[in-house]
Amino acid sequence: MKRFWCFFFMFWPIVAFVLCWIAPDMGWWFPSNGPTGMKAASPIGERIDDLYYMILYITTATFVGTQVALGYVLFKGAAMTDEGNEQKVWYSHGSHNLEVIWTIVPACILLFIALYQMDVVKEVRVKSAFPAETKGGTVAIAEVTARQFEWRIRYPGIGPDGKKLPLMPKPQPTDLYTVNDLRVPTGEPSMIILQSGDVQHAFFLPELRVKQDAVPGLDIPVWFEASKSGDYTLLCAELCGWGHYKMKAKLVAQPEADHMEFMRQLTVQQNYDGVPEATNEVAQGEE
Amino acid sequence: MSTVNPAIGTDAGQGHAEEHGHGHGHEHHGSFISTYVFSTDHKMIGKQFLITTLLMLMVGGALALGVRWQLAFRWEAMPFFGMLFKAEGGQISPEFYTMLVTMHASVMIFLVIIPILAGAFGNFLIPLMIGADDMAFPILNMLSYWFMWPAIFCFGASFFCAGYGAAGGWTTYPLLSALYEAAPGSGAAQTFWLFGLTFVGFSSMMGSINYMTTIINMRAPGMTLFRMPLTIWAMFITAILQSFALPVLTAAGFMLVSDRMLGTTFFIPGGIVVNDNDPTVGGGQTLLWQHLFWFYSHPAVYIMLLPAMGMVSDMLACMSRKPIFGYKPMVYSMAAIAGLGFIVWGHHMFTSGMNPALGMTFMVSTVMIALPSAVKVFNWIGTMWGGRLQFNTVMLNCIAFVSMFIVGGLSGIFMAAVPVDIYIHDTYFIVAHFHYVLFGATLFGCFGGIQFWFPKMYGRMMNEKLGKLHFFLTFIGFNGTFFPMHLLGVAGMPRRYADPYLHPYLEHLLPMNQFMTICAILMGCAQFILLFNFFYSRKFGPTCGRNPWNANGLEWTAPSPPGHGNFESVPICFRGPYEYSDPNHTEDFWLQTDQPVKKAGDNPPPSAAH
Amino acid sequence: MRSRLPALVVVACVAVVSGCGRSEPTFSSRQGLAPAMDEYVRTSIDQKFGIPNDIRVWDRLPLRPHAATAVVGEGAQDKILPLTLVEQHRDLVNGQEVVWVAGTSMPQDSAKVKAESWNAEANLLKLSAAPPAPPKTGDRVVVGPGAVLVHGRALYAEHCQHCHGVGGDGKGPTAPYLNIRPRDYRKGLFKFTSTKEGLKAHRDDLGRIVEEGIPGTYMPSFKLLKKNESQAIIEYVLYLSMRGETEYALYNILAGDYSNDSIATRVKDGETEDKIVSEFVTRVKEGEIDDDASSMLEKMIGDWTTAQTPEAIIVPKEKRYASDAASIERGRALYLSNNLNCVACHGDSGLGDGIQTYSITVNTETQKPNLEPGLYDTWGNKIKPRNLRLGMFRGGRRPIDVYARIEAGIKGTPMPAFGGKMTEQQKWDLVNYILELPHEARTPGTGVAPVTANAAPAAPAAAH
Repeated sequence: MKRFWCFFFMFWPIVAFVLCWIAPDMGWWFPSNGPTGMKAASPIGERIDDLYYMILYITTATFVGTQVALGYVLFKGAAMTDEGNEQKVWYSHGSHNLEVIWTIVPACILLFIALYQMDVVKEVRVKSAFPAETKGGTVAIAEVTARQFEWRIRYPGIGPDGKKLPLMPKPQPTDLYTVNDLRVPTGEPSMIILQSGDVQHAFFLPELRVKQDAVPGLDIPVWFEASKSGDYTLLCAELCGWGHYKMKAKLVAQPEADHMEFMRQLTVQQNYDGVPEATNEVAQGEE
Repeated sequence: MSTVNPAIGTDAGQGHAEEHGHGHGHEHHGSFISTYVFSTDHKMIGKQFLITTLLMLMVGGALALGVRWQLAFRWEAMPFFGMLFKAEGGQISPEFYTMLVTMHASVMIFLVIIPILAGAFGNFLIPLMIGADDMAFPILNMLSYWFMWPAIFCFGASFFCAGYGAAGGWTTYPLLSALYEAAPGSGAAQTFWLFGLTFVGFSSMMGSINYMTTIINMRAPGMTLFRMPLTIWAMFITAILQSFALPVLTAAGFMLVSDRMLGTTFFIPGGIVVNDNDPTVGGGQTLLWQHLFWFYSHPAVYIMLLPAMGMVSDMLACMSRKPIFGYKPMVYSMAAIAGLGFIVWGHHMFTSGMNPALGMTFMVSTVMIALPSAVKVFNWIGTMWGGRLQFNTVMLNCIAFVSMFIVGGLSGIFMAAVPVDIYIHDTYFIVAHFHYVLFGATLFGCFGGIQFWFPKMYGRMMNEKLGKLHFFLTFIGFNGTFFPMHLLGVAGMPRRYADPYLHPYLEHLLPMNQFMTICAILMGCAQFILLFNFFYSRKFGPTCGRNPWNANGLEWTAPSPPGHGNFESVPICFRGPYEYSDPNHTEDFWLQTDQPVKKAGDNPPPSAAH
Repeated sequence: MRSRLPALVVVACVAVVSGCGRSEPTFSSRQGLAPAMDEYVRTSIDQKFGIPNDIRVWDRLPLRPHAATAVVGEGAQDKILPLTLVEQHRDLVNGQEVVWVAGTSMPQDSAKVKAESWNAEANLLKLSAAPPAPPKTGDRVVVGPGAVLVHGRALYAEHCQHCHGVGGDGKGPTAPYLNIRPRDYRKGLFKFTSTKEGLKAHRDDLGRIVEEGIPGTYMPSFKLLKKNESQAIIEYVLYLSMRGETEYALYNILAGDYSNDSIATRVKDGETEDKIVSEFVTRVKEGEIDDDASSMLEKMIGDWTTAQTPEAIIVPKEKRYASDAASIERGRALYLSNNLNCVACHGDSGLGDGIQTYSITVNTETQKPNLEPGLYDTWGNKIKPRNLRLGMFRGGRRPIDVYARIEAGIKGTPMPAFGGKMTEQQKWDLVNYILELPHEARTPGTGVAPVTANAAPAAPAAAH
């Protein structure tokens, strides 16, 4: 029976290991529905993935190492109680050298992990390190307001010169609005101002590896860059009430020209006055 | 050489124990009420805590199965809960799901894990292990148990309020929890919940003061600090943690209650419109709650873990018939965990919008807290290394503890790294992580502890076969339920979603969730075996002597169960608690109270610490 | 103890497992009729509309419930039908039922004929089996009967039911906590429509709400539903609405004589309950009640059909007047004028705090005293006039949306239709003023110049 238990304790790490090994092929890995497949859809996302894999390799090595040691200990310890085994128990209160080694080595590894992440953290979060396109976190493409249970998005309108106006902190008559549909140009960093209209939400773009809480009373700048055009998932990651799971929206990355075209259409659509005219026809045909 | 044979048990040199110790003529004068209900005896209080928490474990487990049911068979008639609560067209409502999630966590954390460790084991073991006749403040001790009941009542009352219970998550982030109208469960249910939390806090605080005082002042002669069993060290450190961190939570709780009831705005910013109410007026900051809450609740994670670590250390040493490997490093690492535990709370808030520089600092401290945990794991393996392992239920649970704690610890490193945490925060990866730590480690430790100290509690052995069956099913069910959650987390499945499959990128995870639910149901059913074993063995288990496991601690020199005042005479401690298989000793264990054999050049006796 | 505990465990397990038995969803019904009449209403409604898991569609309802309806063309063979599609709302796929609604093969009860393949170019439908009688040219067939509604019902259960209730009564389990109560469809009344005064909602109005949500309420946007999914939901909501209206109609016919209250009064006045019931049975037998009901149904069907026509949609006679300072100032004057009296509800400053929000003590519709003084909607909920300063417009923020609110009112609420009172220019002036309100300074009467697109914004949005 004791050997059974030894196998039992060794059986599950093997299953766990195999499960993780086959997971990417089974689709139990990073979301793969988006335009970039399982690969992260933003440059920062790819670096986050690299960090993830780095930690995964380190922890896998540790996991395998400790489980093998555990297995060895178990089988050996089980043999000690066999009939006729005269071996003595290893009477030891510990080893100072061993303690030092297994304190220093993991400490170095852990410290390395921590320091190695700093760059990415800085680029993602620290405003002064934001990409140049956001002018140090001052130029935003849209204001995203999380509400129970939807995302309301306010874009700056298009000026008389056909160019986008800057986004103002307060709503302007020229502003354009969408719900659950955030559009950004592909291949360039875009910044949004994240707000909450009621309780706390979290802005989560799984394919781009972006997550930021929308905290009531704060305006939080978030930047990201979609490396490929297409539809991405946008959802809420912080419990915000009964409809938490309903906050389903999309991020649409489009080439710059398409993005401007969308903005123009939105302008027409939003100013639709109900009088069917040739110029107004476009407004209805968005879908 | 004798090894552990629980069925017979030895009384090694102590003579046969009378059921009630002698020399304590005053022990049985109490009525039923004063003996079993309002008892000031630490052992009775410990047992009361244990039985209460085991029953709460079943409640919390049932709530968890409700959650699992919805995730596997979404919107289908839920067994049991569907009958108890109003369901529209056979479906539960989404707010009912958020309630299940919230109350499962609250019950498990506040009414099971914290009280079973500190309340049940702490109370029962501390005086016995340090050779005291009771706690320093017996009445305070009794109150600490009886303050659990208002807490249970408040949490229970929460189920009968609008929304069927608090539904703001166990973290109760404002504004969801601060504004009555923010969610169905944010009304009276949330208020009750907060009061429940406060009562749990009172209870823990009274316990902590008691434990600290008792451990500092009431140790038996010869029981120096470094001769204390690791369980006691763990309880001591936990009590310190608890008493420093808890006031912050209690204060925060009162602030939230006053925001809700007195119109203050600590956590409520202005201009918030919820449920078509008038905009709020105020200048509060919701992040403040997160800081205050996690300032307690992160140390609380260690409050929920350290005592189990200590208990497992004791059990592992005994069942390996070997001294603990690296006693002092074990103590120092627990102290380090506790110390670092105070400066890592921010890792729960990496995505919350706090100052990024703060985030980086928290990242370093958080990564470093993995270090003492790693040291402990290595030492546990070192303890088992070359020992005569006894594969009984106690040992199996302890091995499971180590094995599961490795997974829980390693997955923690992912979260400690801010960039990776940005992605996996609030996904099932987190859920997997803390279930591996809190269930995989702590609860397996508790199951082992129950089996181990049961003979001391009731003078009878628990059934080994049932114990092993329970362990087997729980272990399988546990890993089947929680390991796949890591993968769900990597797949980006957010927590607390009543219907994740609404989102196309999560649709394909349904079969996996169904598998997990089946495992969870298996695990849930297995707990009935534990309950049965517990109550059955209490009445019908084979009786045992003082020291059925041939262990070394002071508690094993007292009768089973110990009478009033625990020990017949004041025990005197001559050595550390882990002198198993000492080549200089004839038996493979050496009670802490055994007089050292006078031999030339062998004086003083070897101390466990070196 | 030894023998009982395992038994208890077994009992507990059995209890848990037996709890798995499904509870069938049922439509809620109107309360208040005496049992016999209640039974009558329920049966006749169920006969016409079925139950949630077995929906019946009545051919005459202006719904689009089927995958397709078609007429059999020339040259039909046993298993191959040339079809001229009349309406198509779903793709024709393998396995859909084919039902004759007119022609030789109807009624077709036992032999269920299934579609096997559809050739879209040649308009040929291949059947899995030959119909009981040979198909004839001119037969009308339905492919996939009720497919849209069944789909809609499933989606409705997933997305809508916990607020709007199984029967669309707006009484789902979540509903009591929502401050703008979920819509009760059973009155056949929808607030935000593009149709003229007094008309029912157009299909597209519901579509717009499903897609955009209603800002400021708990009705979220379901923008990411696929086109056919939202269509299915809309048809199902319309179906629920018509079912509810039919139920109301029957109920109203009977309530005068046979509600619990009136029966109690009649018994007090000397009649016996048995007599009342037998009188009712006679009236039913003579068809009197059915006649009343069918005339009300005719009206309902007519109303719904009318609302779906292009003529029902509000089209401004003139294009929008430019939103310049003068127009806005004129709009403001109109807003404050005694003629329109917007301020009575929406308040001087547009904050939705006009005098009527706390002064009206008698419900204008039911003539009963209000529980709390204020404004109530047709469903009996106290409602707040819109705070026009928040920039949240429930029915949409396009000029035409605001125009339609002013022109035709908000149906089911005290917001009246002003269409008849104003000229086109006045309407647009008011629209311009209202759209400008969220951006205007908060002091009434000063008429602060609006920020227009031409005025260069002072500073770009900083991350505050």
